[in-house]
Amino acid sequence: MHMADALISPVVGGVMWAATAGVAAYSIKKIQNDLDEKKIPLMGVMGAFIFATQMINFSIPGTGSSGHLGGGLILSALLGPYEGFLTMASILTIQALFFADGGLLALGCNVFNLGFFSCFIAYPLIYKRIIQKGYSTQRIFGAAMLAAIIGLQLGAFGVVLETLFSGKTELPFGPFVALMQPIHLAIGVVEGLVTSAIVAFVWKARPEIIEKASFGVAIGNISIKKVVTGLAIIAIITGGVFSWFASVNSDGLEWSMFKTAGIEELEAPDGIHQTMSAIQSETAFLPDYGFKAPENEQEQGAVEREESWPAVSAGTSVAGLVGGAMTLAMAALAGMIIRLVKRRKKRLAA
Amino acid sequence: MSHHKLEVKDLHYIYPDGHKAVNDMSFCIYHGESVGIIGANGAGKSTLLMLLMGVLFPCQGEVIVGDVHVTKKTLPFIRQRLGMVFQDPDDQLFMTTVYDDVAFGPRNYKLEEKEVENRVLQALDIVGILHLKDRAPFKLSGGEKRAAAIASVLSMQPDILVMDEPTAGLDPKSRRRVMGLLKSFEHTRIITSHDLDMVFDLCERTIVIKDGEIAAQGLTSEILVNAELMDSCGLEVPLALQNCPVCGIRKTVKQPRKKGNDETP
Amino acid sequence: MSNIINSLYNIRLLDDLARKETAIHKIHPLMKLLTTVVYLTVVVSFGKYEIGSLLPLFFYPVMVFALAELPVKPILLRVLFVAPLIIGIGILNPLFDHQVFYLGGITISRGWVAFFSIFIKCGLTVTAAMLLIATTGMDGLAAALRMLKIPRLFVLQLLLTYRYISVLMEEVARILRAYSLRAPEQKGVHRNAWGSLAGQLILRTFDRAQRVYEAMCLRGFTGEYNTGGYERIRVWDLAYLAGWVSFFAITKIYNIPMFIGSLLTGVVK
Repeated sequence: MHMADALISPVVGGVMWAATAGVAAYSIKKIQNDLDEKKIPLMGVMGAFIFATQMINFSIPGTGSSGHLGGGLILSALLGPYEGFLTMASILTIQALFFADGGLLALGCNVFNLGFFSCFIAYPLIYKRIIQKGYSTQRIFGAAMLAAIIGLQLGAFGVVLETLFSGKTELPFGPFVALMQPIHLAIGVVEGLVTSAIVAFVWKARPEIIEKASFGVAIGNISIKKVVTGLAIIAIITGGVFSWFASVNSDGLEWSMFKTAGIEELEAPDGIHQTMSAIQSETAFLPDYGFKAPENEQEQGAVEREESWPAVSAGTSVAGLVGGAMTLAMAALAGMIIRLVKRRKKRLAA
Repeated sequence: MSHHKLEVKDLHYIYPDGHKAVNDMSFCIYHGESVGIIGANGAGKSTLLMLLMGVLFPCQGEVIVGDVHVTKKTLPFIRQRLGMVFQDPDDQLFMTTVYDDVAFGPRNYKLEEKEVENRVLQALDIVGILHLKDRAPFKLSGGEKRAAAIASVLSMQPDILVMDEPTAGLDPKSRRRVMGLLKSFEHTRIITSHDLDMVFDLCERTIVIKDGEIAAQGLTSEILVNAELMDSCGLEVPLALQNCPVCGIRKTVKQPRKKGNDETP
Repeated sequence: MSNIINSLYNIRLLDDLARKETAIHKIHPLMKLLTTVVYLTVVVSFGKYEIGSLLPLFFYPVMVFALAELPVKPILLRVLFVAPLIIGIGILNPLFDHQVFYLGGITISRGWVAFFSIFIKCGLTVTAAMLLIATTGMDGLAAALRMLKIPRLFVLQLLLTYRYISVLMEEVARILRAYSLRAPEQKGVHRNAWGSLAGQLILRTFDRAQRVYEAMCLRGFTGEYNTGGYERIRVWDLAYLAGWVSFFAITKIYNIPMFIGSLLTGVVK
């Protein structure tokens, strides 16, 4: 599943972006050291291949439904993990831009969930370990199946954690996990079946493609360790910076609220005063202001937080409704006026 | 002028699986000539082109462009002199706009951006698609794609154009247009094709390849009318030279246009 | 099948739109990218029960739609396309959050407020991303990425993937057409053909990559991606960015609809 922008908070999005950028930078460095410029067009065209193959419905025997190919594992198996990760990153970027799958802020989350776990955990620790004993159809099947399932389970768990840390939706941890993991078990099985079928076919037809990919790039324990430590450091630093930024910013917010409250104490019982006091109570009416929420969320982890929900007077809520409607109406009006003016200009020009 | 000459001497190429794709080929192509290379599927045409371009290196024998032997070291020079238009324009047009594609070669030779622009606009103008410069390649029609692919090579200002099936997959009008374009060039041209009518129209000289060897070479007007030779090489006499299917009358054969000064014996 | 045709149509539409020449299209790609990122950050920074203060953010897409002369329908259709997923996650809110409050005499569940908040955010973020690509185009975006010092290798690879999506999708469409014509009444591709169908395509894809590589080498490619110069950033481009960012900041700090509403109701009183 792709994370959507609407479900994440800026902090979670930013941390995941930083982590993904770190892994991508490391991968690019690795590839450049290899100096095999042949791989550049191959990665590009294979990205397009995954894109196109995702449109194929593979009907699942005995169920009447059909599944799709995700791509992370097969890219690693055919191109190598670094190349696979970067290719996944560009596929997801294009999906976010052109197909609104996921989003730009959630891109870091999505590349991590769908790329990192497949290419840097499932591929080297499971797929490669099994395949190392030599290729055979059975081993390809076992390796692809296990790696796909575990990669997707980790990815799904990533989605759960990212959603919970963001705190934009009211899903308790338990039911959410109980919902996500089994669904992704099914998706993982399909991914494993399709991946193993394709890899086995390519291995039989052109063994050099597959054998080159897996033995060409050395991905030992050391580099994995390096990647993981690097990631942890990046996550801690960015998490810290973001939280600091968030707390400073929310102070700023509170300050502006105090300012409005201060005006209220001037006691001038006219229209404007009422307006200001209404603004003030509105700020209390919607207490979950921006950057402050994620910060708290970070501290409390997955524990659901009970938010304060003060009583609201009928007057302010009516003002809120009226104001909201007015805002939308103004936006629509502005748009229509611009369109009209443009059309008239064109007619005059014609 | 000698540096526009292309010479092939005792060329051999064997694929890793043992298939002898090119077996002892020798020929010479002179400045300003237009030469057709024809042969059945699998005769070795594509391998020959790859050897000319230095994508593959011969197991034995050599390719000489002007006075320079094609080796790994001379490749940058060779590739500036020789421009190749691929059979499938989609392989050649890999950038997101036509402009960037035509600019790809000149930019790789580190030309000034101003000079790059001049060359791109000039190349697009020659092939007549200047108005399409900001289009994405996937928005072009087959004929436009072909023109863009030719422009992407012209912008490198090569002396010799190598073309693999330049009329494949084009509708009759687009085919005519591409043929007219190719006819207007003053470059040395090497064209491989199954479109024998086009070869008959565009090339003074033809080399026939069969099983990796040269079966015949000489004037197109003599080679293509030789029904026996053509048949034995998996080809046939161009439609334009065959008997009229309606009235059965043999058409009068016009000699193809002669161009260039040196004619091979 | 229709899936592929839709996707191809969608890419072509956005590519066409990006080649228009309106005031918005002429703004520097980097400024549009930054504006979009700030916009998205502000949108998602609002808490889960906020709807009112989100509303002024509608101004941005409306303005871009109007100034860039973009067709509203196809882009909003795309937004609706993703909506079911968001609804799926969001709809759980009313199930888990039963607390209610009264608004203008009507009882409203807090869960529904959270649901609508997610729904609006989804609409705004998805639209903003589509507007970015519809006014900038893939090549403009690539230029912006290069200015941000994203490694050329990644940018080139991104462009190549974008370029070959349509080629490979057409290829897949042809394969599926050939398959379905000989396999009537099958919903998807049968398991027996999984490996060979997609595998053949992979082999062809590898061959194509090889030819593309050759085409690149023949034109002097040596692993370095050389691009033309950058478009210069003008004062107007900076003003565009600054203008929107300050507008977003104001909507973030002040609750504008509440202000307008209070002004109106207050004055009426």
